[in-house]
Amino acid sequence: MNWNRILRNRELLVLFILLGMMAVIGAINPAFLQPASLKNMLDSSLILILIAIGEMFVILTRGIDVSVGAITGISAVILGTALNAGVSLPLAILLALLTGLLAGMINGAGVTFLRVPPIIMTLGSLGAFRGLMLIITEGSWIETIPQSIKSMAGAKLLGVSMFAWFTLALTVMVYILLKQVRTARYFYAVGDNENGAYLMGIPVRLTHFTAYSLAGLFAGLASVIFVAQIGFVPMSTGDGLEMRAIAAGVLGGINLAGGVGTPFSALVGGVFLTVIDSVLIYLKVPAFWNNAIAGGILLVVLWVDYRIRVALDQRQRRARAQMRLHRSVQVAIDAASKEAL
Amino acid sequence: MKILKLFRNWESALVGLLIAEVLLFGAITPSFLNLDNLFYSTNDFTHIMLAALPLTLVMITGGIDISVASMMGLSSVVLGVSWLSGINVFVAMGLALLVGVLAGMFNGVLVAYSDIQPLVITLGTLFLYSGLATGIAGMQGAESYEGISGLPTSFNNISHGSIGIVPYPLLIVLAFALILHITLTRTRFGRSLYLIGVNLRAARFSGIPVQRVIIGAYALSGFGAALAGVMLTSYFTSARSDLGGEALLPIITAVVLGGTSNLGGSGTIPGTLIASLVVGFLKQGLLAIGVTNDVSQVVIGSMLVIIVASKLGSAALNQTRVNRKALRASEESKGGVSPINR
Repeated sequence: MNWNRILRNRELLVLFILLGMMAVIGAINPAFLQPASLKNMLDSSLILILIAIGEMFVILTRGIDVSVGAITGISAVILGTALNAGVSLPLAILLALLTGLLAGMINGAGVTFLRVPPIIMTLGSLGAFRGLMLIITEGSWIETIPQSIKSMAGAKLLGVSMFAWFTLALTVMVYILLKQVRTARYFYAVGDNENGAYLMGIPVRLTHFTAYSLAGLFAGLASVIFVAQIGFVPMSTGDGLEMRAIAAGVLGGINLAGGVGTPFSALVGGVFLTVIDSVLIYLKVPAFWNNAIAGGILLVVLWVDYRIRVALDQRQRRARAQMRLHRSVQVAIDAASKEAL
Repeated sequence: MKILKLFRNWESALVGLLIAEVLLFGAITPSFLNLDNLFYSTNDFTHIMLAALPLTLVMITGGIDISVASMMGLSSVVLGVSWLSGINVFVAMGLALLVGVLAGMFNGVLVAYSDIQPLVITLGTLFLYSGLATGIAGMQGAESYEGISGLPTSFNNISHGSIGIVPYPLLIVLAFALILHITLTRTRFGRSLYLIGVNLRAARFSGIPVQRVIIGAYALSGFGAALAGVMLTSYFTSARSDLGGEALLPIITAVVLGGTSNLGGSGTIPGTLIASLVVGFLKQGLLAIGVTNDVSQVVIGSMLVIIVASKLGSAALNQTRVNRKALRASEESKGGVSPINR
């Protein structure tokens, strides 16, 4: 194995840290590594993973979307309200997805056509969506959700929930699409060098627009899993999820400067943050410290990653300088020997 | 024409907006215009102003600090816990402010000594500080929804007293704004912030201690957030770890509405001050005419987007007009052959 490659590959780096951490916790408290608790952690990370994958598209194009949590909330409210109004399950799910997509398209339209800076646009729509959600429900929780959607969360294949399989499959599919499909590469091109992409004839604004729409769609998808798993819609649905989703992606190696990251970054980061939440329970540390530890680890990973990048770049530059030196020495020797002749 | 020119100056446009807003709400509910009420209602959003003012400095450098939302809770908890352990409440207040400055400096050091985006760093510290706040509060056995109450009256009075009709918190805000304004316009530190925001590299090459200046800006932001936390604690008469958690949207709205570009290089303290009044009174006014908090969130959110969009749009229009004028001038000087027609 090539160490440089592993160190440069953030997904693998974080995955190793995660596995190491899990091994240590498992040694202290074997209950942590029981299949049941592992499956539990996987199930509770799904919402975060889905939102983080949606957010990835936006960050790839060098944008940011802080409204995805609120979109999850409003989609969940639409889903719950529709189900309680007697709409059939598939149609209600479709409505939730469309809500998410529409919300994402609003963000996309603001960023691309009104040219509002992404952080401002989505901060504004964060307030607007969250307010709308409260207006629709008049501030009360949506309870008595039909059993039909709740039983979806119970469906299992080989002992693992269907939702987990679905999320994993989706992650792999998005990964393959992003690697293989020409138009999907546009997200990377636009994020890496927007002017260059424009000059190459890539539809830059359409790409931005699509990224925000996809972020909304994935948030809508997450809301379906949320309602199925929780079984009711509290007013705090999706609160703060946007920050956790961004943190998960960044932890897994998605670069906010655009153009870098894969769905696996979102997957690894999402699982990592969820595991941290459960770790403290198994270590019998009060849960108050959850956020402090998540924030601390995020900062440490960012810092280590930064130091590694600098060190590797320096080493590369030194190697290149040495090569140049060798070459000039060689030239000098050649010249001297020619003169001697 | 004159009105148009006035509107080109963003601060005066904001003042107009503020007056229009207050008059509009006053026309709907006349009690809103009662000066006593008007001044007293600022108490509900002084924490937003206190955090937004120094955040302006950070955003001028091209950075952002979203951890202000959790630094408020952290400083509140530090104040409460150190008071519980027997320290004089005003010394505890000093400790809380010191923690805020240190937390801000920590942000600043990470930003200044790496190439990681400020948004990501302060996202990490947003979690870190809120976790520290709940952790410290949890160690004391104080649940977040109860908080640490029973603070001395002399401390609680800070937020509840007034000189004439001007409440103390507003006076503190004005004093803080004045100091920051002088710092920004009259000191080397303040001018360096602008240069760093416009062109970091040029700032470095012209010998500005970029790293120290950036750390200073974030430290001030931490100080402002901590001060906001202290004022909130005194206003609610209890120290809680979740104070200010909801304030992030209005804080950033105020700074951006005030004319600070999120790309750095521009922004003023009077702009932020007036804009935070606009946002604050909007919320109070909507409450006064019977609009719920939920709807006002929608209004504030949409307002942020619309104002920024229209500002950008009018700037683009202006640019087009300037370009056309230049084109016409060059046409005339060349004797009528337009570069387009050629």
